[in-house]
Amino acid sequence: MRPIVNGLVRPIVEFTAVTRLYGARRALDDVHFALHPGELAFLVGPSGAGKTTLLKLVNREIRPSSGEVCVAGIAAHRLKASRVADLRRKVGVVFQDYKLLPRLTALENVAFGLQVGDLRISDEEARDRSLDALEAVGLGDRGDAFPHQLSGGQQQRVAVARAVVAQPQLLIADEPTGNLDLETAWEIMDLFEDIAAWGTAVLVATHNVEIVTRLQRRVLTLVQGRLVRDQPAGQTGRMAWLASS
Amino acid sequence: MAGVLVKGRFPRRRLIQTVAANLARYLFNGAARSWARNVGSTAPALGSMTLLLVMSGLVGLTGFALHNLEQIEAGQASLLHVYLRDNAEAADILSLENRLTSDPRVAGVTYTTKAEALQRAQHIPGLPQLADASESNPFPASLDVQVKSIDQVAAVDASVRNDLAVDQLYPTSYDRGAYQRIQAVLLGAAVAGIAFLGLLAFVAVTVTMNSIKIAIHSRRDEITIMQLVGAPRWMVRGPFVVEGAITGALAGTVAGAVTFGLAFTGISAASGTFTQFAPGITTTVAAIAAASVVLVGLGLGSGSSLISLRRHMET
Repeated sequence: MRPIVNGLVRPIVEFTAVTRLYGARRALDDVHFALHPGELAFLVGPSGAGKTTLLKLVNREIRPSSGEVCVAGIAAHRLKASRVADLRRKVGVVFQDYKLLPRLTALENVAFGLQVGDLRISDEEARDRSLDALEAVGLGDRGDAFPHQLSGGQQQRVAVARAVVAQPQLLIADEPTGNLDLETAWEIMDLFEDIAAWGTAVLVATHNVEIVTRLQRRVLTLVQGRLVRDQPAGQTGRMAWLASS
Repeated sequence: MAGVLVKGRFPRRRLIQTVAANLARYLFNGAARSWARNVGSTAPALGSMTLLLVMSGLVGLTGFALHNLEQIEAGQASLLHVYLRDNAEAADILSLENRLTSDPRVAGVTYTTKAEALQRAQHIPGLPQLADASESNPFPASLDVQVKSIDQVAAVDASVRNDLAVDQLYPTSYDRGAYQRIQAVLLGAAVAGIAFLGLLAFVAVTVTMNSIKIAIHSRRDEITIMQLVGAPRWMVRGPFVVEGAITGALAGTVAGAVTFGLAFTGISAASGTFTQFAPGITTTVAAIAAASVVLVGLGLGSGSSLISLRRHMET
């Protein structure tokens, strides 16, 4: 369901004049953009362009040096450390290296993502919902497997299931296909398209030119911390070269 | 009518059970598993904390005994014997007694005759021989003055020394500085004990903090994942505090048992002598000391963990 205010769809992510400094270096410089529910956007640019910094700002791992960051209605730029968990429960995160807990099975990893956010969820409910999520990513039969028993693609699917099991309003992914072969990468991208189709905003930082070019989704291009191009869906062919590092 | 929607009662009990089960799993079970897994790195903290707590228990009991001794000494030191001249007039004695009784610094005055003084001396080691050596009774009659505060004994002594009824050679039992000397010795013992415990506490806290620091570093990935999936701060930090508390409780239990065991052995083996040297130390007091040691262990373990978390865990 899209959050609507005064007849307008409210953005899930909104950056206003955001600058982030690391010492004297400007990792992000006066960035403005908004991402709406159901939108799948790619964040591209050469290494060091500020893609990861932008995602960290969205997830409130860091604060902006100036400007405003609003995520799911929360002012992340002035959010206290003690309230960060509230924001993160509205944001699903997928990493290049999966970041699964090695001592938990696939099912437990997904259930963990659900129960840490809400202790009122019983084991039965967590198990049922986690199984649903695993089935949705095509791993309904591997719930009892530990991460080391799964392939890279399967681990990334588990990570996607964990990221979406609590039905977040936003999913961010930092190089989610970086460790995967092209075929598996396409499977992950299919999942992201399905997730966006159900109303979740999806923001994917990637170097994968082929995926960006062929999916024809919105592309945000960062170069040296500046958002130099914001191309709407369907107009992404000419800039694909910028995605290569 | 298509039907009546029957709304069931909100399953509050089930909700509480679910929350409690999840809390137990993420906070306590996780901490217990992690503690068992990292027992090797926790061992130094456990050892030093146990040593500290045993010493604390014993120093605490010793301090309690010394405090009781000091109270006994203070009671004796605030009793001033005013020795009367053998040929003192009854009127002078009565006048002095009345003056002392009306003195606001005095709690009570008792008259002891020469015969009673002799009788009392028979029970004091060494004095019966002195009594036998003399044909007449060498012990003077006295007014035994109980002064309210030990600080006022000197002033009361000064007020009676030159009285007509008072013996001029040995006017009173007041020994300037005797009580102060005892107090100084006790104060020195207390300061030394506290300094020693402080040093041990510093070592125990530092070692415990380091063991928690190692645990944090070894589980850095897990902590990062928990934080990134939206685990609240208490859920990330709680297990480490519980781990510290487990270490502290275990050290406290061992130390409490040792403290109680030593005190109980002392009480049972030589009850008379033990009571003389350590007045007030009973089985109940030893049990209270042991329980306190366990509680201090819990506080020390969880407190050290909290300090370590503040220093070493990023938000």
